[in-house]
Amino acid sequence: MTLDLPTKRQEAWKWSDMAALEAAAQSERAAPDVAPADLFLDIDGPRLAFVDGVFDPTHSRPGPVNVTAIGESSGHPLGKLAAGEGWLVRLEKGAAVTSIQIVHIGTGADNHVPARIELAEDATASLVETYAGTGWANRLTQISLARGARLMRSVRLLQKSGFVSIRDEADVGEAASLVSVFLGAGGMGSRIDGEIRTSGIGAYAEMGGALLTEGDQRQEAAVVVDHAMPEGSSRQIWRAVAADTSTASLAARVEVKRHAQQTDGEQSLRGLLLDRTAQVNLKPELEIFADDVKCAHGATVGELDQRALFYLESRGLTPARARALMTRAFVADALDRIGEEAVREAFAADASRWLEVAL
Amino acid sequence: MATKNAEALAAANKKYEWGFSSDVEQELAPKGLSEDTVRYISAKKDEPEWMLDYRLKAFALWQEMVEPDWAKLDIPMVDYQNAYYYAEPKKKPSLKSLDELDPEIKRTYEKLGIPIEEQKVLAGVEGARKVAVDAVFDSVSVATTFRKELEEAGVIFLSISEAIKQHPDLVKKWLGKVVPTRDNFFACLNAAVFSDGTFVYVPEGVRCPMELSTYFRINAENTGQFERTLIVADKGAYVSYLEGCTAPMRDENQLHAAVVELIALDDAEIKYSTVQNWYPGDENGKGGIYNFVTKRALCQGRNSKVSWTQVETGSAITWKYPSCVLNGENSVGEFYSVAVTNGRQQADTGTKMIHNGKNSRSTIISKGISAGRSDNTYRGLVRVGPSAENVRNFTQCDSLLLGDQCGAHTVPYIEVRNPSAQIEHEATTSKISDDQLFYAMQRGLDEEAAVALIVNGFAKEVLQQLPMEFAVEAQKLLGISLEGSVG
Repeated sequence: MTLDLPTKRQEAWKWSDMAALEAAAQSERAAPDVAPADLFLDIDGPRLAFVDGVFDPTHSRPGPVNVTAIGESSGHPLGKLAAGEGWLVRLEKGAAVTSIQIVHIGTGADNHVPARIELAEDATASLVETYAGTGWANRLTQISLARGARLMRSVRLLQKSGFVSIRDEADVGEAASLVSVFLGAGGMGSRIDGEIRTSGIGAYAEMGGALLTEGDQRQEAAVVVDHAMPEGSSRQIWRAVAADTSTASLAARVEVKRHAQQTDGEQSLRGLLLDRTAQVNLKPELEIFADDVKCAHGATVGELDQRALFYLESRGLTPARARALMTRAFVADALDRIGEEAVREAFAADASRWLEVAL
Repeated sequence: MATKNAEALAAANKKYEWGFSSDVEQELAPKGLSEDTVRYISAKKDEPEWMLDYRLKAFALWQEMVEPDWAKLDIPMVDYQNAYYYAEPKKKPSLKSLDELDPEIKRTYEKLGIPIEEQKVLAGVEGARKVAVDAVFDSVSVATTFRKELEEAGVIFLSISEAIKQHPDLVKKWLGKVVPTRDNFFACLNAAVFSDGTFVYVPEGVRCPMELSTYFRINAENTGQFERTLIVADKGAYVSYLEGCTAPMRDENQLHAAVVELIALDDAEIKYSTVQNWYPGDENGKGGIYNFVTKRALCQGRNSKVSWTQVETGSAITWKYPSCVLNGENSVGEFYSVAVTNGRQQADTGTKMIHNGKNSRSTIISKGISAGRSDNTYRGLVRVGPSAENVRNFTQCDSLLLGDQCGAHTVPYIEVRNPSAQIEHEATTSKISDDQLFYAMQRGLDEEAAVALIVNGFAKEVLQQLPMEFAVEAQKLLGISLEGSVG
């Protein structure tokens, strides 16, 4: 397979690691080293398992989720490759489905799954996705929320190796709310690419998360929230922790169109370097065409606060414990946005497990 | 004058020995850009062989490069073959009296408080030539006294063409060291065809006795569209350099691609201030100047310091990122910028602070003011290398929007490879509130004065970095640039 991939010369891809993606795509398939059952959280709700991008009915109970061909396509260089059979959540007016769990296991080579989430007026849904195994997992998720609809989406990337690329394209209607939280705590490379557009008055959009990198891993998030209608608000809260010779990159953009007055956009990008050789890249970008808006962004990079560490040690914690505690708190800012307690705790546990090894 | 030029040209053409035939009467290099054009320019300037080689290498490289498209700018296709790359200094169209001057410009002169005689010189009024000659005579004598003083101090302050001839070793040593030929499309083009520019060398331990400004250099107008500036401050030296002019400058050349290189050795300090007010085009953005400039400073020595201050109000399109490469231990980089866009102007400007030295520090204060239908982008990079311990950076980018048809954008890049770095970035976007306007107006200011006052307050942190006389003019300039944008 020859891939037509973006290059570093393209501004939006300058921090990307397409070599790792290609290597993952060329890897050989092998027997899976993890079972879907180990990856589902112990909560009720529909469950879907995909192994190498193919639906696995024996480990699934899809409920209202349809496994079907998704016709929509995307102009995104990676997203457009995800075509064919995927999953679809379509909810009627006022309907609610919580705790949909989708598990993706890769064993090598590449797999592509498109998905579509359509919520009618006032419908609500929550969804957890987990990526495990290896190979290149490429996903396109298109989301459309009608007036007052609410979607809570949590995604954790736990692949041991390989590459995960995620492309989200969302359209948030009037007074609708979309919250997406990502956790990159595996050993794979990643590119989380999102474009959220508000198409109704007073829409709320949030996309954030934490990327934890070690070894020579490179993880990256590139997110755009496009305020096309007035009175919308958005939050982009991202945390990056980089150890060894790894690189974590965060690029977040808020766009405010001409008529989108009274937009309230907030960006908080923070990076933490655990080793001298690690790298954190941040790009908090604003593109504003309306004059009555509130857009703030903050970006910081550094190491753990020495005084706070000293304080914790003075209270009897070992240096390693103190570092772990501080780092956990650093990451928690982003993960606390997850609504369901069981999911939040699972994500926090994944982050802690990563920290135990890295620190 | 004309005969002199013709003679000079004829002489140059005689020396031109690469089989290029040119009409003796012609004052322009033929249209278009080819190796011959580059050779022609070099021959016209009577440059040594190594300089020609430098240009030709740059040209070969340039042919393989593509124009950058990452800036948030809508740049109409520039036809590089449909332009003149060498022209004798253009004479401005002469006017019979100041009354013939475009009333727009005249009004601006008055608002800036430029004396009437100086106005005539700037406008190129015919009768005023005599006055102009006097004025020039004056400034020649002023310039000579200044030159003397500079000579005594050991400061070299020459046009770059003269410097290539008189101080080839110094120029050879530093030219292209900060902005290498292959750096970017426009810098490469400049390296191939640069017309003229300034060379400054301040020797060890010398504090340059005055603010250097192109204004005082005879020949200053001849620098043309591809200006090349090289300033070297040796150990412990200090120099402050002013560039530009607050008076609106009309220029026939649409494309300007200058390169400015600064080098600061141990304990040296360079302060570089720019006020730019080139023609921004008419209300539809037609005919304005494209300003694609590469400015970079190398803080090579310990404790070296470079400070960029810029007030950008002109040009249809600005593509400009004055940067500092902080290699020296304890070196300091500063960037203070006010960029005003009105009408259909587009500005994509900012800075790069590349920290390689231990304890290096940088401050970035950027104030963007957009009005009319303009777009104003701050684009900056703060990079910390793995061996740069204890780096500090503070960045503040504030945007002010006047009206609802303009855009303000902020694109900061932060790349950190050392955990001991402390990088802070703050940004705000705001508008002039009705309350503020109302307050100022009920105290007796008219609307324009009120806006000017508020805008000057907004930009104060930057304006106060400018040398005194520049600051006063720059303040007035801000008010004028924004005229008619409110209400």
